[in-house]
Amino acid sequence: MAATDLRVAIIGAGIGGLSLALALRERGLTADVYEQAPELTEIGAAIALSANSTREYARLGLLDELTAASTIPTELIYRHWRDGSRIAAHPVHNDNTYVSRFGAPYLGIHRADLQKALSGAFGVKYVHLGCRLVNIIEDNNAVVVEFANGRVEHADIVVGADGVRSTVRRWVTGADDAVYSGTSAFRGIVPTDNLPSLPDPHAIQFWMGPDAHLLHYAIGGNGELVNFFAVVETPRMWLQDSTVADVHEDVPIASFRGWHRAVTEMIRAAESPIRWGLFTVRPLLRWYRDRVVILGDAAHGMLPHHGQGANTSIEDAFALAAFLTESRSDDLDTAFVRYQTMRRARTRKIQRSSWVTSSLLHLPDGPAASVRNEKVARVPQDFGWIHDYDVQRALAALTPPVAARPSD
Amino acid sequence: MSHDETLAGITEVLAAVASVDASDVAPEKTLAELGLDSMTALEVVVAAEDRFGLLIPDDEAARFRTVGDLVGYLERAAVPAR
Repeated sequence: MAATDLRVAIIGAGIGGLSLALALRERGLTADVYEQAPELTEIGAAIALSANSTREYARLGLLDELTAASTIPTELIYRHWRDGSRIAAHPVHNDNTYVSRFGAPYLGIHRADLQKALSGAFGVKYVHLGCRLVNIIEDNNAVVVEFANGRVEHADIVVGADGVRSTVRRWVTGADDAVYSGTSAFRGIVPTDNLPSLPDPHAIQFWMGPDAHLLHYAIGGNGELVNFFAVVETPRMWLQDSTVADVHEDVPIASFRGWHRAVTEMIRAAESPIRWGLFTVRPLLRWYRDRVVILGDAAHGMLPHHGQGANTSIEDAFALAAFLTESRSDDLDTAFVRYQTMRRARTRKIQRSSWVTSSLLHLPDGPAASVRNEKVARVPQDFGWIHDYDVQRALAALTPPVAARPSD
Repeated sequence: MSHDETLAGITEVLAAVASVDASDVAPEKTLAELGLDSMTALEVVVAAEDRFGLLIPDDEAARFRTVGDLVGYLERAAVPAR
């Protein structure tokens, strides 16, 4: 069977799953995407796309549509939690710095807008909603997937792109490898006009203080909304089944008592008394079993402090598509081994770096914070490797190389 | 797997991942002496995991200073072949 005849079932219509569907099509393979949610809507969440993923979307011709719904940050600014002073600042859109250096843009975008663009480009008729995976059964040279709504599908390959609490991963590793990080977040999206105290509202900014930080950036075509993510080092344990928990309406604001007015104003304006537990996935030795493979948060869920959860999922998607194109139905192991070898190293580095960054962002004033402040002044030099990464170049550099771009 | 086989495996990993010349590799050599920064060292650790089929926790990996530290960890952690 030629690779182009492979039937690929993707579990999860998030950013990683939809990107894989598009990446497979770019290389002449077809796929179906199954999503448990009845509709493609993401509540109150945005993401920042960096050059390592926007250069892939640019090649697919998606950049105009994405840019129209995005805000490009003016600068990356680090601020003191209480007095709001600028500890370090690095130009992004200003002077065209980011695009000149990395060759692709940095975009703040609502997840729903990104999902809409990706599913629209792929074709909504191949995205099957209301399909919650309940079983995976091996059947000779195929896999049978069963959904809660009674639907049954046969595929040659099943890809789990179903997030940090992945069902497919449990089938692959036989365990629940998600780990609560000891940190949780309050998030929200607020009209920029409702934030009169906020300096530089169109920058991406970290407000860093004792045991907490707040990150925000603007989204929407004209920077009309500000998306924020406020992280605290509580609770010690996560006792809910879900990754989100309702809290009393006073809890988010009480967690940032004494912080700069721009911070408290933003949290208050969101009126969003929900706590999001931050989970990671412990490093896994294998990302596949038989005909089933995982990508994105399912494989390497990480803390979001480099803004790389979605971006590394997109990298995974384009890499996996390349390996599958060169695979055969009777020998998927070769493709899966090469995929996990390439992607485990890259994502482990970012995962680890995000852990280190988490504690750096949460230091009290004092000598350690002074050392940290010197570090954030070097962010463009120290973390350029994350943004500089080019999946297609990395594929071509492997031994033996994988065709970098689809041949035409 | 014998000590020499483990060292030979690590030597191959160092060559493949970090272009380290096999003749430079010795147990007492530090990873820094072989030109590895912390990020390249992590790539070597991940490649060694693939090669030897076992997982090395990040906090263990962070303690490796020399080639011998990595070889020693793999020898202690591996299930004896015989």
